[in-house]
Amino acid sequence: MKRLPLLAILLLTLPVASVHAQSPDQAWNLDQSTLTYHMSHPMHEVDGTSRAARGKGVCHAGQCDFLVAAPVKSFDSGDSNRDLHMLQVTRGAQFPLIQVRFRLPQGSLASPTLDCDLEVEFAGNTAHYAHVQFHQTIEGNAHHIVGIVPATLTDFKIDPPSFLTIPIKNDIPVRVDLTWHPS
Amino acid sequence: MGDLGLTPAETEGSAQRQALLDRRTHMLKVHQRLGLITVIPVAAACISAAGAPPEHGNYGNTTSRDVHVALGAAAVAMYGATAYYAIRAPKVSNEPARGGIKWHKYLIYIHAPGMVLTPILGAMAFNQINSGQKVHGIASAHGGVAAATAISYGAAIVAVSWPIHIKF
Repeated sequence: MKRLPLLAILLLTLPVASVHAQSPDQAWNLDQSTLTYHMSHPMHEVDGTSRAARGKGVCHAGQCDFLVAAPVKSFDSGDSNRDLHMLQVTRGAQFPLIQVRFRLPQGSLASPTLDCDLEVEFAGNTAHYAHVQFHQTIEGNAHHIVGIVPATLTDFKIDPPSFLTIPIKNDIPVRVDLTWHPS
Repeated sequence: MGDLGLTPAETEGSAQRQALLDRRTHMLKVHQRLGLITVIPVAAACISAAGAPPEHGNYGNTTSRDVHVALGAAAVAMYGATAYYAIRAPKVSNEPARGGIKWHKYLIYIHAPGMVLTPILGAMAFNQINSGQKVHGIASAHGGVAAATAISYGAAIVAVSWPIHIKF
């Protein structure tokens, strides 16, 4: 009979412990974003910008996992024909999202420089970028982060589009400007 | 992805839509290539126009006029093939055109009627010269219409390439 209350206590506390293990220590929301790719050709310099990225971050046991996603079609280069061509060469109809994942120690979230290992999913391929530096400024609750992802066409097996038979440069650096808030 | 507030329409890929985009790009690449090649007969027809009118009332020598007619016909045929690939390319967006492509499309309203009118007026002028008459009436607009057509055609090529920043 003495064992019954003990068992009941164990059964009651077990789900509570499990819920505690799953709930995040801290969560982050992406409030504002500007992603800008740069494309170079001997006759053209083009920037395409998206402000449609969404993002979340979740911290557990001292580690924070972040996810940022942006629709490929949301990039605007100022020319609708070029944007549709970009969508075609990057297989944006088949793989409509760019997804970026990275993990940071929770203790580093307030530092002025963030060193990130990025996993980028784009055009049906995944590329890894190690030690990408982002600069952070904190104003109140807003964490403003800027940096450049050194992406290339070959990282994602994208055939370079050409104009007058001359292909664009392989480098397509993406300037990242994000504002995060803890929720 | 639903957590991020992205809709299924934004997250789900479509191989069918990708195939449509691929077809569109292929057809517009052919359009671009043919369009650039068409510059050659258009330019040649414009240059050969200098020798087309009868010199000092000599209506008998038709060689340079025949060359001009042949080059003009080639230009119109090539232009027709170029236009075919643009017209037949699948439409994938209903959004209004932005940037250089907008001007490229506006200029169609000048060079497309021009490419129809120029050979008609040219044929009228040709017949008038062959029958020993001076070119008169609406046929005398052949040169002006042809020039406007060629200029707007060149402008359409520049518009779709704009802005140009040459950097090697």
